[in-house]
Amino acid sequence: MKKIFVFISIMFIFVLAACGSSGSEESSGGGEGEGSEDWKPEKNVEIVAPAGAGGGWDTTARSVGKILEEEDIMDKSVGVVNKEGGGGAVGWSYINSTNNPHNIFVSSPPLVFIPLNGQSELSYEDFTPLANMIADYGAFAVDADAKWNDLNELFEDMKKDPSSVTVVGTSSPGSMDHMQFVSIAKKAGVDIKKIKYVSAQDAGGMTQIMNGSADVYSTGVAETVEQVKAGEVKVLGITAEERLDGEVLSEFPTAKEQGIDATFVNWRGFFGPGDMTDAQVSFYEEKLKKVSESDAFADIRDNYGWNEMYMNSEEYKEFLQKQTEELGTLLDELDMGQ
Amino acid sequence: MGAMEGIAQGFQVAFSLQGILFVLIGVIAGTLIGMMPGLGPISAIAIMIPVTYGMEASVALIMMAGVYYGAVFGGSTSSILLNAPGISGTVASSFDGYPMAQRGEAGKALAIAAISSFVGGTVSVVLLMLFAPMLSQVAVSFGPAQYFALMFLGLTAISSLSDGSTTKALITATIGFMTATIGLDGQTGTSRFTFNNPNLMEGIDFLVIALGLFAIAEVCFLIIKRKDTSLSDQGDIGSLRLSKEDFKEMRGPMTRQSFLGFLLGVLPGAGATIASFIGYISEKRIAKNPEKFGKGSIKGLAAPETANNAATSGAFVPLLSLGIPGSGTTAVMLGALLVLGIQPGPLLVQESPDVFWGIIASMYIGNIFLLILNLPLIPYIAKILKISRPLLISLVIIFSLIGVYSISFNTFDLYVLLFFGVVGYFMRILNFPAAPFILAFILGGMMEQSMRQALTASGGDVMALISDPVSISLYVVSALSFIVPLIRTRKNRPAA
Repeated sequence: MKKIFVFISIMFIFVLAACGSSGSEESSGGGEGEGSEDWKPEKNVEIVAPAGAGGGWDTTARSVGKILEEEDIMDKSVGVVNKEGGGGAVGWSYINSTNNPHNIFVSSPPLVFIPLNGQSELSYEDFTPLANMIADYGAFAVDADAKWNDLNELFEDMKKDPSSVTVVGTSSPGSMDHMQFVSIAKKAGVDIKKIKYVSAQDAGGMTQIMNGSADVYSTGVAETVEQVKAGEVKVLGITAEERLDGEVLSEFPTAKEQGIDATFVNWRGFFGPGDMTDAQVSFYEEKLKKVSESDAFADIRDNYGWNEMYMNSEEYKEFLQKQTEELGTLLDELDMGQ
Repeated sequence: MGAMEGIAQGFQVAFSLQGILFVLIGVIAGTLIGMMPGLGPISAIAIMIPVTYGMEASVALIMMAGVYYGAVFGGSTSSILLNAPGISGTVASSFDGYPMAQRGEAGKALAIAAISSFVGGTVSVVLLMLFAPMLSQVAVSFGPAQYFALMFLGLTAISSLSDGSTTKALITATIGFMTATIGLDGQTGTSRFTFNNPNLMEGIDFLVIALGLFAIAEVCFLIIKRKDTSLSDQGDIGSLRLSKEDFKEMRGPMTRQSFLGFLLGVLPGAGATIASFIGYISEKRIAKNPEKFGKGSIKGLAAPETANNAATSGAFVPLLSLGIPGSGTTAVMLGALLVLGIQPGPLLVQESPDVFWGIIASMYIGNIFLLILNLPLIPYIAKILKISRPLLISLVIIFSLIGVYSISFNTFDLYVLLFFGVVGYFMRILNFPAAPFILAFILGGMMEQSMRQALTASGGDVMALISDPVSISLYVVSALSFIVPLIRTRKNRPAA
């Protein structure tokens, strides 16, 4: 009998350990800085990744959380909580309803797309942009034996018959991978309403261009590097302003240098709930800037192939306004805007 | 030979003190995580990523791989004892494992699960070592049309998962299909059946449904029918020992499913869950006495347990040889590789042979550890059934709730769990089988998406679905799996 209880208690300990990160669920709405100049968290800070474990939001949240703690940037401990669902909407409504300055979250362009698609009531305007941390860029890859060698050749064919080419991406239509391709193709003069876009959720995009099920894979730059190195695929163009650094990365031509004046940034940064005092905003701004400048974060950026793109709260807000306008027009043109 | 040197180097890594230590930590953690209903390897590995930062890449990965296959190994325990699947790959193990435990043969069931897991794991590691580079081509050969055909084959199982009325099986399967459409549609981004509730936008997690329909429904049943003794009130776990006949019966499924499971694991997206279902139904199709399946058949337990463990090693083929993750868990491991400064891709075997071969070699040791760990523990673990009924029922409820909550840390999922628990209870008293629901739910989502991907790419031409030898042969096998049992019953009828 004893042994059973030992076993059960082991199971319990294990569960508690596994759920440990979500332990700080209680939501005391307090902690307003009473308008004073300085604000410091009174309890542990919770970073919400509005997605499951292992994705881009989650890795950003976890690596920033770890640096905040380990480099002694923040004296309170930092926990990461996954609030998965609705492409982020579940996490956003959690932040919105708890409305606690100790809870912040990671986000990226879907925070702009999803409200525009009408899939979420909440948009970036309901939150306080704290700081942007990194930028990632899109790449358009084709099979190594494909007939196209640059974006112009591809877009020439697509101008003649947009439906002769199948584009595959991981995200659903009207989100990241689709929109980055559409925004570049539109500038090149392709009829974007007729583009055939297929969404392969289980990272099947690379497989699909290799076996010929689809022609172009619209994805992140880092995802293509190894396959290019091995000679399996080639990258026709990337969405960055300038060429990137890195041994294979620097060989990828930008759309811009191919005469298509368009870029697309997959930014990633931190947001807080709607009501935050200036003191609270500047507290996070400063801490996140320290993370951004740390060597530890530079290593992480290198490992994931991310680029540094720090913006403070003000700059971030302006940037987001501009993006919302641009993407809103584009989505309306695709008849996907709400 | 580069490969021989690589293999030798891999064994060196795996047999180093560090290598052995971390394999051990990995498989112990994995077994425990797998035993907990609902808790899966994905979140465990994701949580480990920051911990491994700065560790030697090969060692860190050996540990993570250990967690992964350890969880699949241990996942059968709660399926068998409590009808509460530990992970999605072991749902099929409860079909025959739980009836065995109810019969008072819990010890034997756990021993069968451990041995077939070990065989599936080990055979597939050998296959992985011998054929990983070659099989990488197989992994990319499946496009949407071929996946559609594969899922179609899986669907033919629905008829064999019903013990009674085929009509009832088809009704639950249809509802399973419909449930799979809940959420954002992948191909258009439209919300389907979400009623503007953001919690439903990503659909319902497979494990929430499985735990609801199996564990919670069972608990309801036990509470309401208090006199029934199905959850082994007598607490008899039976002998662990397997007779010669038992081994003889296991041999066939173990051999076949080691290969089949491995191959299905190689295909990105198919994975351990689908391998375990296909393993189960393919054995039922060819069994001499298929009527025993679902009532505690040794074959019916050995098949999914071999297949899911074999598929786990198979999933490492696209990850290690192509840098393409085939499942949620391997996708998280891909992320972990990046953090450790290793670029997974077609060149991994040349650039980091210590990592590539180290992981593979460590899986041999890992599987042996798992067997050594699990077999002697069985009597203790199985004694969980000896706990008094009220306590056991509470434990199942608690673990199911914790497991579901830990999937996405969302209380909404708990309501969904209870909802499916009640649905499962009524299905059970009205004799609607739950397994076809589960099967249609897993296959339905993938089947719909791959069909629509194929049709979008072909511009709506249906012939695109049947235009190549792979899909055609899959349809032929599907057709045979309908016709052969028909002929068999025809033949038997005059005799009977």
